[in-house]
Amino acid sequence: MQTILTVSNIEKYYGNKGNMTKAVDNISFEVDKGEFIGIMGASGSGKTTLLNCISTIDSATAGHIFIDGMDITQLNSKKLSKFRREQLGFIFQDFNLLDTLTAYENIALALTIIKTPAGEIDVRVRHVAKELEIEDVLKKYPYQMSGGQKQRVACARAIVTGPALILADEPTGALDSKSSRMLLESFEKLNNNLSATILMVTHDAFTASYCHRILFIKDGKVFNELVRGEDTRKQFFNKIIEVVTLLGGDNSNVL
Amino acid sequence: MFFKLALKNVTKSIKDYTVYFLTMTFGVCLFYMFNSIDSQTTMMQLSAVQSDSIKMLSQTIAYVSVFISVILGFLIVYANQFLIKRRKKELGIYMTLGMEKGKISRIVILETFLIGVFSLAVGLLVGIFAAQGLSVLTAKMFEVNLKAFQFTFSLQAFYKTLLYFSIIFLIVMIFNTVSISKLKLIDLLTAGKKNESLKIKRLWISVILFLVSVACLGTAYYLIIQNGMLMINSQFTTSIILGCIGTLLFFLSLSGFLLRVVQSNKRLYFKNMNMFILRQINSKINTTFVSMSVICIMLLITIGTLSTGMGLSSALTKGVKDNTPYDISFGYVYHEDDTRKQIKDLAQKMMDDKIDLNRYAKEYTQVTAYTSNITFGDLITDASLLPQSISSMSEIKKYAVTAIPLSEYNNALKMQGQPTLTLKENEFSVNCNFAQMQPVINSFLSNNGKLNLNGKALVSAEKTVQGSTYQTSMTAQDTVALIVPDALTKGLVRDQEILNMNYKVGVNEQEFVQQLQTVYNKEAINSEQIFRPYDWYYTKIKIYEQSTGLKTMVSYLAIYIGLVFLITSAAVLALQQLSEASDNAERYGLLKKLGAEESMVNHALFSQIAIYFFLPLSLAIIHSIVGIKVANNVVSLLGGLDILGNTIFTAAIFLVIYGGYFLATYFGSKSMIRQNRN
Repeated sequence: MQTILTVSNIEKYYGNKGNMTKAVDNISFEVDKGEFIGIMGASGSGKTTLLNCISTIDSATAGHIFIDGMDITQLNSKKLSKFRREQLGFIFQDFNLLDTLTAYENIALALTIIKTPAGEIDVRVRHVAKELEIEDVLKKYPYQMSGGQKQRVACARAIVTGPALILADEPTGALDSKSSRMLLESFEKLNNNLSATILMVTHDAFTASYCHRILFIKDGKVFNELVRGEDTRKQFFNKIIEVVTLLGGDNSNVL
Repeated sequence: MFFKLALKNVTKSIKDYTVYFLTMTFGVCLFYMFNSIDSQTTMMQLSAVQSDSIKMLSQTIAYVSVFISVILGFLIVYANQFLIKRRKKELGIYMTLGMEKGKISRIVILETFLIGVFSLAVGLLVGIFAAQGLSVLTAKMFEVNLKAFQFTFSLQAFYKTLLYFSIIFLIVMIFNTVSISKLKLIDLLTAGKKNESLKIKRLWISVILFLVSVACLGTAYYLIIQNGMLMINSQFTTSIILGCIGTLLFFLSLSGFLLRVVQSNKRLYFKNMNMFILRQINSKINTTFVSMSVICIMLLITIGTLSTGMGLSSALTKGVKDNTPYDISFGYVYHEDDTRKQIKDLAQKMMDDKIDLNRYAKEYTQVTAYTSNITFGDLITDASLLPQSISSMSEIKKYAVTAIPLSEYNNALKMQGQPTLTLKENEFSVNCNFAQMQPVINSFLSNNGKLNLNGKALVSAEKTVQGSTYQTSMTAQDTVALIVPDALTKGLVRDQEILNMNYKVGVNEQEFVQQLQTVYNKEAINSEQIFRPYDWYYTKIKIYEQSTGLKTMVSYLAIYIGLVFLITSAAVLALQQLSEASDNAERYGLLKKLGAEESMVNHALFSQIAIYFFLPLSLAIIHSIVGIKVANNVVSLLGGLDILGNTIFTAAIFLVIYGGYFLATYFGSKSMIRQNRN
């Protein structure tokens, strides 16, 4: 299996000498192509900081991150934005759709940014919309859609460019359980059908149970790793709950 | 507590307020400057005519100022409504915390007050200093010397500025209170999320509307070109109304179908940020098309006032030297029903009336204009060459042309030191110093050149007209006069006598005029005890003084009105864009997150603001090309016209002020967006 993401000895410090916070403290892991990996942890455990470092939104204090063989900690800002638009797809907790654009245009925007030929755009947008079952909302504006629809449009926008890695930050955070389930099923479908590599940060055990593998982070360090293997989702969910309990937080998320 | 909150709000949103504040300050400054002209003249040596001109100037400015304050009032009210809209979320938070609307109003009023007081103070301060510069300029325009430079301060203008702007602010406060009392909490919290949607959904309707607007504008142009500006009739009004409707429909349909046209061209639509930019504009489409139309019309007024005002003022002075070859000219016209005697020699009559001509006059000469049997129609071979101002007078062709005896014409020229004319017995020449008429007569002289004066056939001596001026007057107004051998005027009816005179060295004109007025005083003339041998007189000095006075007035009014309109429209645009920048900041920030390059984002922002600024300007320029062409027809009646110079002047002002506002808006928005990202 080809390795898509390699995180080696990443550290991220905030503050100065006298008052140092280690948000990420020497984390290393690898993600293979086509993997659906989750990162779990309580609030303040450093999971979002880690994601920001991987997504090039923030820069790491020390360590290296390789995506598709390229060391992103060594890129300048111009190359970073080129890298970001060509190799990464983002899904945010609060959707981050442009409310001036229709769903169709929101998805097409990601393609126009990478200067896709106009003729190709329509085909690709329709294809991804079909995959995510949002064909009937393409003409609507974000404020005319439900939360679940918005998130699937955001998801379509993230994958339409064919990125090496999709980064999702609490994608179900603003959704109800039904919408969450639909979104996660979409993720599974993308992962299976298009072999998209997805890295998802969440604190929700149910959401995490859709992953193949989960990294648990506590106080900026990898605390545990859980692989789903041949487990059913229910079994995997129970295992996750055990670890979460061990971690000492998030009991409330038990279904 | 509330004072603190208000003060903090002002300082916090200083970036939003900068443009508003600067515009206000500039407005106050202009207002004070032009209203204080009266007091600036204390240090100038002015003649009676000049101080009359100044008085008239300051009176006119006082009237115009009322109009100006209404315009500025609109700007301020509009700006405040905008700033309230922009702070909907903040006000919504106050309300969710349980603050009453009355208290919120008080905070907003306090803020308006703070900004108002501050800009009024700064504006007045700058205005007081700028007024000193203006007074030097006024002195230069009037061609008078400054006695000694002294710092002037006009208490009257000061109070007036305070009063006018206090009233404006009071109105603003009322407006603000009303609009706050109407606010609904739900709207406050979800404001800015919704896109405005155009009522016209179908493409073909926009296409038809666009065609209608073009038709409206075309008709308006045609009507105004046909009608000209001098006659204010139904045609004129129709043209103006059609122009306004056309402009409104133009922007309404343009924004509607521009999107669709670009949308249908996928290659264009999906290129770079085009889609995003178009949607940005489309999202505020209803507000946009109204404001664009209003701004377009305001810009038209600005361009029109600045360029034709300047044109008028330069035309007013340009001809003065040519029009005043003598120190003084008297004119006397015989009316058909006139029972007065035939005064053949004006100078003799004056001397008979005990006017000491020999004491004042170095030399004088009289020109008599006779009525001939020849009409204008006889001299027009090519009617298409006629200037519009003349061809619109339907009776013109029936008017009789005057004839002047050669010897008198030559005497008048000799006095100016110009070469004289010689004619053979059967020859004539034509004098015409009205520039627009010359091509018509030239065409007659070169194509036909034959006339029949009282049964005597004449041929023209030359192929072109004489452009001399044989009397001192305000404008070059000799449309056509035939110069014929003396013998031919015998038996013709006298139409007009002109007496031209040059003073002896060191003669005080005031004294001479005084003597004339004493002898020919009104009561004596009304009771017909005495008979005045002239209907009017023009003196070189007075014409000079009047024309500089008029020139100053016209150019000051043009600058005053033009600048206020310009800053108002530019400020409205800038405020719209800046207050939207916070909404935009999120969107542009998202573009960055999606990986768009900095240059791409900046380009999109630049395009968006440029479209808002230059779309109305483009239509205004097209409007004003027509408008100025029409206005120039009027201005050129007064003499030469420097179109290039005025265009450059107007363009320079636009470049500096409008361009300045544009750049300020762009950089302001850019820094807001950058701030938001960090």
